[in-house]
Amino acid sequence: MMNEIVTTLLASVPFIGALLCLTVWSRSDYVKQTAIVMTIISLGATIALSPFLTVPPEGFLLLYLLPLAACVSILGQPTHETHRSAWVLTLVFLGLGVTILASHGVVGRLALLVLFGLVIGLLSRHHSALWPMSWWGIGVYGLGAVATVTSAMTEPPISTIASVLACAVLLPLVPLHSGYFTALTRLPGNLPSFIVVLFPAVGLHGLVMLTPMLPNNVAVTIMGLAVFGAIYGAVRALAQSRMRLLLAYSSLSLFSMLWWFAAAAGITTAWASVFVGAVSFGTSGLLLAWQVIRTRYGDDVDPQAVSGLASTMPRFAVLLSLTALAVMGLPPFGVFSGFMGLLLTSPIASPAALFVILLAWLATSWYILDAVQRLLFGQQRPDLPITDLQQSEFAALLMVVLIVIALGVIPAGLLGPNIVALSPNDIMGPFAWNK
Amino acid sequence: MLVSLVLGVPLLFLLAACLVVIGPDSTLSQRAKLAAYPIGAAFCAAIVTLYLVATQGPITFRLYDPESAGSFAFPIGFYVDRLSAVMMVLISGVGSIIYTYSIRYMYQDAHAPRYLALIGGTTFVLLCMVSSANLMMLFLFWQILSYLLYILAHNHSHAGTLDGAFRTFTLLRLSDVAFLTGIVLAHFLYGTLEFQELFVRAAESTATLSLLPGVEIRGATAVTLLLFIGGMGKSAQFPLFIWLPRSLYAPTPVHALLHAGIINAGGFLINRLAPLFGQSPATLHVALVVGTLTAVLGATMMLTQNDIKKTLGFSTIGQMGYMIMECGLGAFSLAVFHLIAHGLFKATVFLNCGNVIHKARQDPEFPHADQREEEEHFSPLTWSTGFFTTLAIPLIILLVTHGVLRIPLLESQGAVIILFFIWVTSSQAILTLTRLRAVASWKVSAAMLLTLLFVVLVYLFAVESFTAFLYPNPAEVASYFQAADLPNWLFDLLLLGATLSTISGWLYLYLRAHGRSVWMPSWVDGVRIRLYVLFMNRLYVEQAYQQAGKFLLRLLHRIDKHTQGWSQR
Repeated sequence: MMNEIVTTLLASVPFIGALLCLTVWSRSDYVKQTAIVMTIISLGATIALSPFLTVPPEGFLLLYLLPLAACVSILGQPTHETHRSAWVLTLVFLGLGVTILASHGVVGRLALLVLFGLVIGLLSRHHSALWPMSWWGIGVYGLGAVATVTSAMTEPPISTIASVLACAVLLPLVPLHSGYFTALTRLPGNLPSFIVVLFPAVGLHGLVMLTPMLPNNVAVTIMGLAVFGAIYGAVRALAQSRMRLLLAYSSLSLFSMLWWFAAAAGITTAWASVFVGAVSFGTSGLLLAWQVIRTRYGDDVDPQAVSGLASTMPRFAVLLSLTALAVMGLPPFGVFSGFMGLLLTSPIASPAALFVILLAWLATSWYILDAVQRLLFGQQRPDLPITDLQQSEFAALLMVVLIVIALGVIPAGLLGPNIVALSPNDIMGPFAWNK
Repeated sequence: MLVSLVLGVPLLFLLAACLVVIGPDSTLSQRAKLAAYPIGAAFCAAIVTLYLVATQGPITFRLYDPESAGSFAFPIGFYVDRLSAVMMVLISGVGSIIYTYSIRYMYQDAHAPRYLALIGGTTFVLLCMVSSANLMMLFLFWQILSYLLYILAHNHSHAGTLDGAFRTFTLLRLSDVAFLTGIVLAHFLYGTLEFQELFVRAAESTATLSLLPGVEIRGATAVTLLLFIGGMGKSAQFPLFIWLPRSLYAPTPVHALLHAGIINAGGFLINRLAPLFGQSPATLHVALVVGTLTAVLGATMMLTQNDIKKTLGFSTIGQMGYMIMECGLGAFSLAVFHLIAHGLFKATVFLNCGNVIHKARQDPEFPHADQREEEEHFSPLTWSTGFFTTLAIPLIILLVTHGVLRIPLLESQGAVIILFFIWVTSSQAILTLTRLRAVASWKVSAAMLLTLLFVVLVYLFAVESFTAFLYPNPAEVASYFQAADLPNWLFDLLLLGATLSTISGWLYLYLRAHGRSVWMPSWVDGVRIRLYVLFMNRLYVEQAYQQAGKFLLRLLHRIDKHTQGWSQR
């Protein structure tokens, strides 16, 4: 009962924030400021009230990260009247996300259904004939909604499989990644940079509950899809020149690694939260950085046409480089910590699969660094107007960097209840070591 | 107190880097000079640490519970034994010299603050790496070093540099992934990443891995092979050496740091994990092959380069090959001795090479050509002196080492091979000296012989003392040599082949130097020219990598094009 009351209180903060934004609708700057303040209040409320919540298996980390992600994504957006609806929707999405992560009952499922419905509506509204693929994305979110209803109305194993489908839509797994791709490329304003944190967090929340119950054949299927997804995402990312698609494939590759570890271990530790949080935040930061470029040079700017920014936009260059390093998996950032935590606390289900996963991990350094290097270094373009980061953009990117560093160095005890080091015997599993 | 001292060494370098970076441009010169003080203090602290470690034993300091290494991503801890302390003195010493030199050298350079800060930051990372308490922390700083190498080799506006820096990073990441796999396997096999515990458990473990039906590999071999590949990248071993010549656009002080400090990481890694490598003869043999190949190719490519930096770069590759080869022979302490000597030597040469380049730019006739050609005459006296001393020196070494230093010569193949190399080096030195006209004198020949005897004696004494300092237990040293032993027939064959080729090479070069004609089949000249071109172009390895990369990218784009999806919209 206490859990439901606290959940309601936590969710009400962003919803009230959305309503308050509507009251100052005519002033874009007020709408933005109100939205940012409400995300900060939401974060404060989450920290203050989380001791009264039932501790989820993945810990409270993702719950704390959601208001931060909302705040950062709104802060990084330039103040303009066309972005007002995106800011309000960010608060609505935040309210739904908090409800799903904090509630363990029917309310959570209902919030998930509303989330699917809302994103389907938004994508339909912003559908363009130039992007017919986005119908696939809308369809996949529809499938997610159906799977959520099915899981509530059926018994295992059907409900388990339905829940896995819903999770795979949110935390992208091949072949259900189209929804994530559509959201990342088609949603307006700052929403993509928030959605890339919200959806994987919600997906992981569901996955954590599911992994101990996964039937063996389902786990094996997931592992196969995850290995394929990891290498498929990496291969496609290597061939991309468009930043958003590159980031979409990159996230697909990295999240597929998480799916592999989860299915192989049959248990999801709090390292998964660190990994998902860090990958999401890093991707969100890169989307924000790309937004900075788009704001200055237009929506359809070719990354190859903009180069040499390291000299002309030094603050941007430093923050972009750090965020890229985080996504590439270098220490001391959270992606590295999460990945190492997953590696050292999961069994080796298959050495060949581990090899593929590590190859995909290696490829991340290639395509992310290549993209960043093309933007920052090389021939300067004196013909392009240059403005370094504005204060709000700087603050947003700096927050992203600090958060991914914090995720990397966070003390183990704060992460969650099930951070355990497995013994060698636990880890060996079916792997052919002869001792 | 001890902990503050150990932490102070790297942190003072970090402080210096921060001093350079933080502040207005107008005070850069003062801040750069001010930063030299904490750097000097760090060097002093490293010397004190070495003294304390030598007299009181290893210093251990951990910020985590070593029983649960898998439960945290950053197990920050310091373990400073004699090896770490020696490395800390070397790195902080070389770092201090390079930094102090760079203040003036890079004065008025637009990128001076970045490079000065990077020198401080890189030294900080190196110091943390060599004093790591566990494999995870070592790997953490190892990876940061990979990125630092990328930005050290970076010149924003130079396309060739950017390309080289990118390749440096991707190649180093390749070896980093192998390192990471080794760590994961080590943790899975032994359940710990703490060095001491890891060695104990590895010694007790008999785990094997079935690669294919009927093909099994020992756990320790699998782990050490992967870790060795990790080390190959940083230490520029064949075929992962191409990043080093590609990074030669950086300022010379940066090169001094790179060639004197960073590149030694592979040798340090093997020494740090010596008890683990000592359990894996197969890995040591691989190290011997890779090291020998790198030494031969590096030295040969060095001879054909026409650029001072490239010449020095390939010289470093060759020396790193020697260092890894020594590890492959089980002479771990000798590898450390080598890396210290090479580090000091190469730092000096690189710091001076900047001045030489400046001078050459100002004076078109610099370096001055030889004043006169060497006289082409053949002196039987000189020839016989040289030939005799070349044969005699190994005998003297054997007698001296066996008699005076009591070195067990015939108990391990490694010792014999190392003595063989001393002999080769000595004969090379004599060859160089006897090419001078003045050597055609008994006095000079005698002085030369005595000098060499003195040098060899001092060298062997220093090596023996250093080995006893680094590995106080003689049984441990003997076990490493034993682990590296080759089959007797192979060992004898190698030694015989190397001896014959050295003597015949010596004879050929000596006779040619004195104007004597040596009959050779006509096709040999053709082959020699082709080989010269091949080595001058560095065996086209860079081009091969480039073509492989282009092919891979073309393939990826083709896959992308033929796959229905988002990219087509």
